[in-house]
Amino acid sequence: MFKRILKSNEFLILIIIIALSLVVGSINPNFFTIASLFDLIRASNVYIILAFALLPVVILGGVDISFVAIAAVSSYGTHMFLIGRGYEGGLLLYFIIGCTIGALAGLLNGLIITKFKLEVFDVSLATQTMWYGFTLFFIGATSNFDMPEGVVGYYSAFIAKVTDENLGVTGLHVSTIYVIVIGIFLWWFLKYTMIGRGIYAIGGNRDVAERTGFRINKITMIVFLIMGLLSGFAGVVQSALSRNFNPTLFIGQNLDVLASVILGGAAIKGGKGTVIGTVLGVILTQIIRRALVLTQIPAEWQKFVVGVILIVFTAIPAIRELRRKKLGRTTNLVEATEEA
Amino acid sequence: MEEELLRVEGILKRFGGVTALDDVSFSIGKGESVTLVGENGSGKSTMIKIISGIYTPDQGEIIINGKHFSKMTPIQSIQEGVQVIYQDFSLFPNLTVAENIALNDLIISGAKTVNWREVRDFAREGLDKINVDIPLNVNVGELSTADRQLIAVSKAILAEAKLIIMDEPTTALTRNEVKALFKVIKDLNSQGISTIFVSHKLSEVREIGERTIILRNGKKITDQDAKELDIATIEYQMTGRHIDTSSIKYSKPKEEVLFKVENLNLSHGFFDVSFELHRNEVLGITGLLGSGRTELALSLFGQKPAESGTIILENKEIKINSIFDATSNRIGFVPEDRIKEGLFLPQTITNNIAAKIIDTLRNKLGLLDQKKKVRLGDEWIDRLDIKTPNGQLPASSLSGGNQQRLVLAKWLAFDPKILILNGPTVGVDVGSKAAIHELIRQLAADGMGIILMSDDIPELMHTCNRILLMRRGRIVNEFLRESTDEEDLNKELIADDDNGTSKRQVEHV
Amino acid sequence: MKKFFRKILKPFRALSIDRHTVLLLLIFVIVMVFFTAVNKDKGFLSIRSVTSMGVQLSEIGILAIAMMVTVLIGGINLSINATANLGVVLAGFFLFKVFPPEATSGTAIFTQISMPDQYSPWVLVVALLIPIMVGVISGMLNGYLVGYIGVPPILATLATLSVFTGISAGLTKGRTITGFPQEYTYVANESLLGIPMPFLIFVVLTIVTYIILNHTTLGFKMRMVGTNETASEFSGINNKTVIMKTYILSGMLSAIAGIIIMSRTMSAAYEYGSTTYVLLTILIGVLAGVHHGFGNVVNIFIAMLILQGLSTGFQMLLQTVRGSTFFKDFSWGVLLIIIFVINYFVRKKRTFVKQD
Repeated sequence: MFKRILKSNEFLILIIIIALSLVVGSINPNFFTIASLFDLIRASNVYIILAFALLPVVILGGVDISFVAIAAVSSYGTHMFLIGRGYEGGLLLYFIIGCTIGALAGLLNGLIITKFKLEVFDVSLATQTMWYGFTLFFIGATSNFDMPEGVVGYYSAFIAKVTDENLGVTGLHVSTIYVIVIGIFLWWFLKYTMIGRGIYAIGGNRDVAERTGFRINKITMIVFLIMGLLSGFAGVVQSALSRNFNPTLFIGQNLDVLASVILGGAAIKGGKGTVIGTVLGVILTQIIRRALVLTQIPAEWQKFVVGVILIVFTAIPAIRELRRKKLGRTTNLVEATEEA
Repeated sequence: MEEELLRVEGILKRFGGVTALDDVSFSIGKGESVTLVGENGSGKSTMIKIISGIYTPDQGEIIINGKHFSKMTPIQSIQEGVQVIYQDFSLFPNLTVAENIALNDLIISGAKTVNWREVRDFAREGLDKINVDIPLNVNVGELSTADRQLIAVSKAILAEAKLIIMDEPTTALTRNEVKALFKVIKDLNSQGISTIFVSHKLSEVREIGERTIILRNGKKITDQDAKELDIATIEYQMTGRHIDTSSIKYSKPKEEVLFKVENLNLSHGFFDVSFELHRNEVLGITGLLGSGRTELALSLFGQKPAESGTIILENKEIKINSIFDATSNRIGFVPEDRIKEGLFLPQTITNNIAAKIIDTLRNKLGLLDQKKKVRLGDEWIDRLDIKTPNGQLPASSLSGGNQQRLVLAKWLAFDPKILILNGPTVGVDVGSKAAIHELIRQLAADGMGIILMSDDIPELMHTCNRILLMRRGRIVNEFLRESTDEEDLNKELIADDDNGTSKRQVEHV
Repeated sequence: MKKFFRKILKPFRALSIDRHTVLLLLIFVIVMVFFTAVNKDKGFLSIRSVTSMGVQLSEIGILAIAMMVTVLIGGINLSINATANLGVVLAGFFLFKVFPPEATSGTAIFTQISMPDQYSPWVLVVALLIPIMVGVISGMLNGYLVGYIGVPPILATLATLSVFTGISAGLTKGRTITGFPQEYTYVANESLLGIPMPFLIFVVLTIVTYIILNHTTLGFKMRMVGTNETASEFSGINNKTVIMKTYILSGMLSAIAGIIIMSRTMSAAYEYGSTTYVLLTILIGVLAGVHHGFGNVVNIFIAMLILQGLSTGFQMLLQTVRGSTFFKDFSWGVLLIIIFVINYFVRKKRTFVKQD
């Protein structure tokens, strides 16, 4: 059991995160302050929720790029609708409407994919283009900074506050609770429900999953429902945090989120991926950014470092596979008799 | 007869223009053991898929436990107690042993959530029932095929199946494991569980089945007590012909050694393999799945290069460390799995034929000579009698036999000195099969050296001059076609092969 | 009816025009007729409108071809835009190093190239060779990761996308480089016989790619590798070199697109077009029916014309409406879904013969 943990991908990322933190911390002790930690968490939260949205799709064996557009249409659409009606209440209604729009948009992806037997990537390409276009044309093309009274204070809704000489007043943002709640739910869903296991089964071997009696279309629809719902949620959180509802929210960031999910140990071909790994994957990319800043390296190099780590992370399993093939371990009988 | 469990009535199934099953009916009693026999393409697999609800028959119905179904879903089939163990074992490589064993039960019970402790207990119970010990927390992808098979069996037993269908379950097992499996099957039968055992190994058909059903070209040919059938009869009814080799004109090998390998080794593949191939000879290499014949073929073609040993072509030592090495020595290879390894299905027939020799189809400017390519395609379509309206249609439009000719055409266009054929007529209809055999003999007579890997005994008898038998990675016997007959060969092929074990293992260590 | 179509198609076989081309042409005609009718008095098909379309099309068109060749061999290249930007950023970096700014030279930030009054024309040539080299190296890196190590293309090129963008961003500190020599504007602004230069370059590259894909053995092998990698290996095709060459071609095409963008904007930025270009090129490819083993540049060309037609057409039609430029994205997405659905029913009609 212990051995398995040591061999796991999550453990490897954790080691990298710890090593990186130690190096950065020794160069710049500011990294180890509570305020810095809270700030890191706050910056990671939204991307963790987005990564959660994408994770089940990746486990299922697909790559979706439309979740960012779904986040944009849900949050911006909700906001323009409510603001137009003079809404002054809190975020709860935003979440309800935003998640509903997101869920419906996600279901549309799922419907097209299952009904017309198409690749997830191709369909999401079409819907991402469509949703951004829809938002910009039908809803509005400019950022909106009007905040209902109940939303204004959200960016500083801290569970615990700290005052830091460098970062000023900051704290553990309330969105951390969402991440924990969603994370636990998703973990439970993936590990303890039959639908969750079905997602892994389909990602592992689609034909066998069908033969075993998993209802592939239904499971696919649920996966995209979750994707849309969480994307809508992440969109609202991000917009409220930045006090700016933006029709092109997250545009161009879909591949960054995908990179975090992959760094977190999910397999692009499906069947593999965990909630913990995904959280660590996002945190790793955020830490790299901070690490560069704190060690006086311009933050612009972040992408470079993430790219190099990504190359290493994707090349290692590929090289391992290459070796295995070269060894030619295909003769089952010989293997079987070795054990006998 | 015992109480009836399952009856299929007038099943008809078509795929496009091909009739896979034509008005097939039979029934199976409770606790009965039936073997379903037929050549590749006879409709066996389609029949299984219909009983398990994966295919819907175009006509006919399935009566199981007294319930009538004209359409049956996989879940309904499972709910009625049908369990199929496929050749791929239907396992998920990315899930643990425990989960793989328990998943079926969870689905049937309609569980919404998973209790992992119960899953493990359940899985352990299943493995205990067949008396094996496999770690429960390991992913199935990391296990050997034998272990996977055991998991598949325990899975089916745990599913409280009323009918277990096994699709060629013995191919990857040792004789002892087969014996153990047969014992398990007989136990099951005595508990009132019926079994359908799909096989084309004739000795097993007689050993395990109480009743034998033979399919041929989608039709039911025989349905009778296994004891009343002898191997020759089964064979005749499977193939629809008596094998008579007296009228065949075989190629006559010369003294000259064309190709020679000495002490070839590949760990996990084969050991100390040596043989000679004469000019104009068709050399058969046979052995069960896992005997190392496929690995040997792949090695000779450079896909899995041998680790030691020498290879001599026309008295010159050559090195084969890559496919490029093999083809530059004019060695060709027709792979076993023509869909995955041989064909570019959606590409045109002409492109498929040109794939190997495309570099020779250039004009003076170094550009691809389209006309030459089309001419080449038409020439080979004509020469191998590939049945198609024109060469611009995709390879997927061809029937199995014609697809196989297409793979052959690709290599013949290359004009190899040595052609290695691995299972050249798997899934090919009888007519095409004979034509391909004729072609193989002809090619040898024209001077090509041919190495034919196959476990299809009649095929070997129809084409080869000499046949080598491989077992556990070694060549253990050699037969001259003239001085052997099919039954001997068959017996040797499936013979008790435990004798060789100790010897090999010692050397392997 | 079927025979009739086959007869019409026959002479075009040599151009490798297929069923999908017919569908695209049909859509193109519908789009053109519709917008010419509804935009009668706005000059939808005026010369000026068409030439301006031509300029806009070129850089995306070249990138679309760069994307297409990799999709054709069963891969994808997410790094095309990053390669294009890195190329011209490094070209700018080179010019910056050759002609260091005089004032406050010690702390000068690398954003503004200050060209002296006199300089050797060779400097300009070398500066343009740099992007091409970057394209080749980018292709080699992608080709190595995909072909030799076996990293899934989407991950390999996602990683290199990140690396290339990171280098550009790091070198420029996230700023835009300006001050490229005036001579470079010719590439974007000159025209030959009334045809804008970028469009001419696009057409030439389209023809070159067409010849590579349809009339060379490399193109043939690319199709085979894209159709079935295992079968092509077993047919003695060296998959690794085919994959390597394809990604190098893709990288070089990307770099050329980068040069055109630089000469049009007279600047280089690490993130130019990063949010839209890559996905737009995939969109064009999917619309053009490019998939593993199949696809031709003629379809890419028509697909681009359709997208551009929709874009310009709706913009004219909705001139008075707020945010009219954005309706195109919506229409593109919807069009793509419509094409998916049409193809689904076409596929369904053509039932394949299944073997037992």
